[in-house]
Amino acid sequence: MRTWRRIFVALVLLAGIGIPGCATVHPWDRDLMAKPTMRFVPVPHEMAVDDHIYFSKEGSTGGMDAAGGGCGCN
Amino acid sequence: MRVQLASPSPASSVRQRLGAAACLLLAGSMPAAAQTQLAPGWQLETTGLFYGEQLRAKVVEPTGRLTRQFANGRALSLGLAVDAITGASPTGGLPTGQVQTTTSSSGRSSTTTADAVPTHPFQDLRYAADLGWVEPLGSLVSASTSAHFSQEKDYASIGGGLKTSVDVLNRLVTLTAGAGYNRDRVFPTGGTAVGLAPDDTPRIPGDNPKEVRTGLVGISRVVSRRWLLGATGSQTRETGYLTDPYKIISLTDPETQLPVAQVNEKRPSERLRDDVLASSVYHFEQDIFYMNYRYYWDDWGVRSHTLDMKVRHDLSSESWVQPHVRLYAQSPASFFVFGLTQGRPLPEFASADERLGPLRTATFGATYGFRVPGHRGEFTLRGEYMYQWLVGRPPTAIASSTNTPAGDDSGGGGQHLGTNIGTILIGYTVPF
Amino acid sequence: MASPCEVLVDTDDEPTARAALDAARGEALRIEHKFSRYRSDNVIDRINHSAGKPVEVDEELAGLLDYAATCHEISGGRFDITSGVLRRVWTFDGREHTPDPAALAAALALVGWTRVSWRDRTLTLPAGMEVDLGGLGKEYAVDRAATRIAEVTASAFLVNFGGDLFASHLRRAERPWLIGVENPATPASGHLGRLQLARGALATSGDARRFVLVRGRRLGHILDPRTGWPVEGAPRSVTVMAATCTEAGTLATLAILRGGDAARFLEEQGVQHWLLE
Repeated sequence: MRTWRRIFVALVLLAGIGIPGCATVHPWDRDLMAKPTMRFVPVPHEMAVDDHIYFSKEGSTGGMDAAGGGCGCN
Repeated sequence: MRVQLASPSPASSVRQRLGAAACLLLAGSMPAAAQTQLAPGWQLETTGLFYGEQLRAKVVEPTGRLTRQFANGRALSLGLAVDAITGASPTGGLPTGQVQTTTSSSGRSSTTTADAVPTHPFQDLRYAADLGWVEPLGSLVSASTSAHFSQEKDYASIGGGLKTSVDVLNRLVTLTAGAGYNRDRVFPTGGTAVGLAPDDTPRIPGDNPKEVRTGLVGISRVVSRRWLLGATGSQTRETGYLTDPYKIISLTDPETQLPVAQVNEKRPSERLRDDVLASSVYHFEQDIFYMNYRYYWDDWGVRSHTLDMKVRHDLSSESWVQPHVRLYAQSPASFFVFGLTQGRPLPEFASADERLGPLRTATFGATYGFRVPGHRGEFTLRGEYMYQWLVGRPPTAIASSTNTPAGDDSGGGGQHLGTNIGTILIGYTVPF
Repeated sequence: MASPCEVLVDTDDEPTARAALDAARGEALRIEHKFSRYRSDNVIDRINHSAGKPVEVDEELAGLLDYAATCHEISGGRFDITSGVLRRVWTFDGREHTPDPAALAAALALVGWTRVSWRDRTLTLPAGMEVDLGGLGKEYAVDRAATRIAEVTASAFLVNFGGDLFASHLRRAERPWLIGVENPATPASGHLGRLQLARGALATSGDARRFVLVRGRRLGHILDPRTGWPVEGAPRSVTVMAATCTEAGTLATLAILRGGDAARFLEEQGVQHWLLE
């Protein structure tokens, strides 16, 4: 099972960098990407609240932040 | 090559004269000074969370965050939050066929009826503060550090983190790495329970330390004009006191299957947690679709899948709506039990905390965001409904509660005693 | 204008966008027609062939001449709209050339705003001298086009004539205009700077495309009218932000005319700027 997980992790990480032959995105095609809503967390304060709620109610930790705060709840 | 960006300083005479001359030339039709948006400025974000579990905990949490942007991309932010929690939390005990009384750690008691999950009431106030600093290192690299602190009646936490990110491949790919360290103290009211001892065993006074170390790496890539992809992996190591000081496990009578006694739970003093997260943001003609998938696993045996999807739809140039669905499935820790049988030898570790059990959560909600014309601030209003349940919970008075871990659905056909949870989150962000 | 001109309007209404574009184009063409030295049917041509006789000018040209006079004074004589004749002595095609000293001296004799009589809306140019508004024209056209557009729409807009631009105000939902400052050494990538402009103007001055080699040394095309030679040690590119495009363009030009002192000059003026040495 451990090997499966490692493979999964490697694949997922490589997917980001290594899609070779993907056309480059020209500067004039970066218009949409410049919008503030084009990021992984469009509403930052919602993510902070959700992280806390799900951290308290479930057994997993979030994937987003290395430096989340602590609380007596998991 | 030398590149400079100077902040405006008191105008000198050349500039003043030039400005006046230009004004005259253009017959006063041009006016206000040039202004960049990211010139040094402030931003204030406040939120208010109202969280309610049916018949259980209620939380009110206001937060505020003040951020100051400096001219060269540096930023300082200060965040404060207060949690006011009241209500009841499951003890880990089993429902019975008769009235059951629980005594809580703060001396209060509660009474539950036949098939309700036993809970005990509690009340707590938690304060948290954090400070963050962002420092660009050149135009492609950025570093940030943060420190945070929180305090509640029985728990204190202090810690910090570092994160750095680099843009490569013509800013198409961003690499991120981060690390964090927390040092916590757990000092339960009434003292620390002795693990797997009967719950009326005298408790041990004093603090219990806990350390948490986290590392993460991430990568994100602009795949096309419309599509942003990212992946993150992180690992956390916790050591110290990881048991929940108020949770108990019911001991059931081997013949009647009714809970007759309680012992405190006990968890290992180390935990290694891993997760990978894959994220996607895709811009359709008008709407933006966000999707995250996270796979989590740790050395306590807990594994989980999380799927989170949102759609951002603009209603007008000043308002938008964002529906949201989140699905979560967790498989239990190896030492999770619904209950233990009296008379059998006790395992090394055991917990009936449903958060370590075969848990499922489904969340549905939507956010509505809008600006008031002429005002720079943005309001958001979010309502969400969550339903959380355990799979394979033994129905009342019928035991699949042997000392085998649950998650074994073959016995008993569990009742899904789920919890309904509703939240309302209001937010307001304004630059000034 | 000899460069691509564009107008960005933040609106969903096509007729509005067209009206804005027509207004801007009309103004740009009008200014070019009226002030270009390449035409033979405008007031500039009459002035440049006036052979020493006084010419009365209209309010608009008077305003421009007043502005040019102020710039001449502020810059200690470096900014001079009569320096156009020097272009006959220099060829900025990127190759090796050395100017003929006699020709240079003859041309210098025809340069100098102090030799011009400008009074009571009447301009008297000694024979052989010329005025060239090329150094002001594009930025002035941006500002005037912006005024015309503001008359036909209240939407946010940005006028960009060949890299000299003006933004009227924030776009809808308080969003700024996203501007990149081109790095002339690597025009296709790697900006010198990026900013989020709420309102205001940006103008760039530089030698990226036109230069000459003299005894192996690269010299830009901006000439110091006091010596007749290209300015020494000038940065390759200067971009300045100001309230109006005219101001921004003038500050950029004044900075380049300072040569090696360009950076210090701009810092003293306290304007946001980007420099490439």
